[in-house]
Amino acid sequence: MALEVLLVEDSKTQAAQIKETLESVGLRVRVAYDGPEGIKEAIDNPPALVVLDVKLPTMDGFQVCRRLKRNPATQDIPIIMLTEKSGPQATMSGLRAGADDYIPKDIFASEHLISTLQELGILE
Amino acid sequence: MTDLTNPYHLRPPIMTVKVEDAMDIMIVRDTARRAGGLLGFSPARRAQLSTAAATLAELVLKTGDAHLIHLNGVIDGIKVGLQISSETPWLAGVSVNNVMVALRSKLGDLVDDIQVIGKPSPKIFMHVWLNEVRNLGDDDDAE
Repeated sequence: MALEVLLVEDSKTQAAQIKETLESVGLRVRVAYDGPEGIKEAIDNPPALVVLDVKLPTMDGFQVCRRLKRNPATQDIPIIMLTEKSGPQATMSGLRAGADDYIPKDIFASEHLISTLQELGILE
Repeated sequence: MTDLTNPYHLRPPIMTVKVEDAMDIMIVRDTARRAGGLLGFSPARRAQLSTAAATLAELVLKTGDAHLIHLNGVIDGIKVGLQISSETPWLAGVSVNNVMVALRSKLGDLVDDIQVIGKPSPKIFMHVWLNEVRNLGDDDDAE
């Protein structure tokens, strides 16, 4: 059975694009459209991986990442932050929050995402 | 040709990206990730490397002239790391201390060390070492 990814992304357009990328490599994708919904989804039904946008309404991706990494029920789930914020401070904030990778949304994003999925053992 | 200003011995990968416009910053970021992968850096550390390399690329792009960003494997004793470097002739005559303060301010903890070497045409060298366990600092977010 295909592994399931929880995608937390508020933009429906971007969520559809990322979902398509993940499904193209055989993963099932659930989408949450804000931070609190993402946290609830991750706790209620832990996925194999969380792909998390930084810019989210209500609670940003850094806070979501920290909450998931502090919760024993979700702390071992790998988190990839996929973001438009690519500067030094944002990168370090993402990594300090416990993200397993921090990937800017640029033309190489899909390729890097898949490469990281392989590295994390999500894909063979 | 041997680079006499280079503080460390080079090892593969040896990669160079010409930075002429904003699009090249993405190429630098991508190349740094690939170089980090070849050296065995984890995805999180590759994110650091790519951000550091992109930051240097953004800096040199502001001069308006094309620059080469070098992404090389380096060895220092038992340590292996990635070196990100660029010639910065426009820094000739500028205090090295001031350059270092500015770079550290910009880059924070992304890289392990920064060196500015060479006269009359200085080069910036930044290194991230593979064998060192890096402390990313305390989680200082108040929720």
